[in-house]
Amino acid sequence: MDRERAVSVSEAMRAAKRALETITLTVVGEVSEFSDKPGYRAAYFTVADADASMSCLMWRDAYTASGVSLRCGMLVEMRGQFSAYAPKGRMQFVVRKLTLAGEGRLRLQVAETARRLEAEGLLRDDRKRPLPAYPMRIGVVTSPRGKAVHDVIRTLSRRYPIAEVLVAGVPVEGADAVPAIVDGVRAVVQAGAEVVLLVRGGGSYEDLMPFNDESLARAVAASPVPVVSGIGHEPDTTIADLVADVRASTPTAAAEAAAPAVSELTGRLDKLSRLLARALEHRVRHAEHRVRLLATRPLFCEVDPLLGQAGQALDAAARALGRAIPLGLARDAERLRYAHEGLTRVGPRIVERGTDAAGRLAARLGDLSPLAILGRGYAVCFAPDGSTVVRSVSEVSEGAKVEVRVHDGRLGCMVETVEEGR
Amino acid sequence: MIMEGVSGPAPEEMAFGEALGELEAIVAALEGGQLELEESLARYERGVALLRALQAKLADAQQKVTALIGELETEPAEDM
Repeated sequence: MDRERAVSVSEAMRAAKRALETITLTVVGEVSEFSDKPGYRAAYFTVADADASMSCLMWRDAYTASGVSLRCGMLVEMRGQFSAYAPKGRMQFVVRKLTLAGEGRLRLQVAETARRLEAEGLLRDDRKRPLPAYPMRIGVVTSPRGKAVHDVIRTLSRRYPIAEVLVAGVPVEGADAVPAIVDGVRAVVQAGAEVVLLVRGGGSYEDLMPFNDESLARAVAASPVPVVSGIGHEPDTTIADLVADVRASTPTAAAEAAAPAVSELTGRLDKLSRLLARALEHRVRHAEHRVRLLATRPLFCEVDPLLGQAGQALDAAARALGRAIPLGLARDAERLRYAHEGLTRVGPRIVERGTDAAGRLAARLGDLSPLAILGRGYAVCFAPDGSTVVRSVSEVSEGAKVEVRVHDGRLGCMVETVEEGR
Repeated sequence: MIMEGVSGPAPEEMAFGEALGELEAIVAALEGGQLELEESLARYERGVALLRALQAKLADAQQKVTALIGELETEPAEDM
């Protein structure tokens, strides 16, 4: 036998890698370390049980596609194969598929679905519709067997027997449950249900899983009439509860939420009956009162009120006039007073000035006056009419009476002779 | 004169909620006091008819249960 040929470390690791990559397994374990840095092309984590641990990696795309957000302590189920990382001489498990394991897995899946629906706005409060106050048809989607359906029917019979109850008896557990429930909701709505009760009795978390199904949640959200959920018993909350318009804690509570009690209704009708009678009585009394009031209106008794308004307008105008006139007068008086003061001030000055001017003018007039000429010894002869000045011998004849004016008086004269020439 | 809202479907044939809604509207209109007297009387009559129909519905009600899908099991004895 030849001695075995020695190989390099690289070759050895390549051989190991080839051998490891033939091992494909599904492994369940708890995440004990986890590192997912943004720059990395893969998520690196360690999965362990009580006695062993294994290094795992999951390529970025596959990890994102899994929809799982790994955390330490999670129980995970991984499908993948072993491999070797030559540079570090390390064995690792390359995970292709990753899911959460056990009830923890279910709860996390449900939380994941709830987050997705919430992100779409399907769980928002403003999507919740009010329930019809007096439904005539109530749909019930639940198992035809068991307590829940009878709890609902008994409650509705007791509280609100006037409605017709439309029951869709469907499986509420197992693989068929989700499509059957979705069909059931559709069937009762088509038959005219104005509100749908989606109920089932209590069960394990896994039993309630159909009510956590995303397609069921979408069917509830898309229902044209409001849906009341009553699934399991508190504190179980399913996604159907979150999407429903009203969430009741039990099937009985759902029935109570969907229907008013007959006792409330009879009370309400009694009250309406009283109000109706009172309103009419009030209306009639009101009419009677108005007629009486009209009959005693002054209009029908005396005539003054008819003219009252015009009379008042007249009074108002008179008052306005009374106010306006004295006001005008006062204003004029004031102006007058100013003018008077002004005149008083200016007047004497005008007079003074006038006196001076008059003196000067009088002196000039004196110079020009014919009387002043007469003063110097001249005389004027007037014709017998006393106003025509005699300028020519021809204007008088012998024997005519003339008046001769000298500066201090007049002389009555008789023309004795008339001689021409100077 | 038009008597608005006074005529309508026969109260016995109306859905409970519909009849109740109309009755409530009539009471509100009468309480508002804006109606003519004749119309008030007409509405009052309609209101009384609705009221009677509603009360009769409640008195005679017998719940009707229809199974659209599946067959209802009779109620287990222990639940009675």
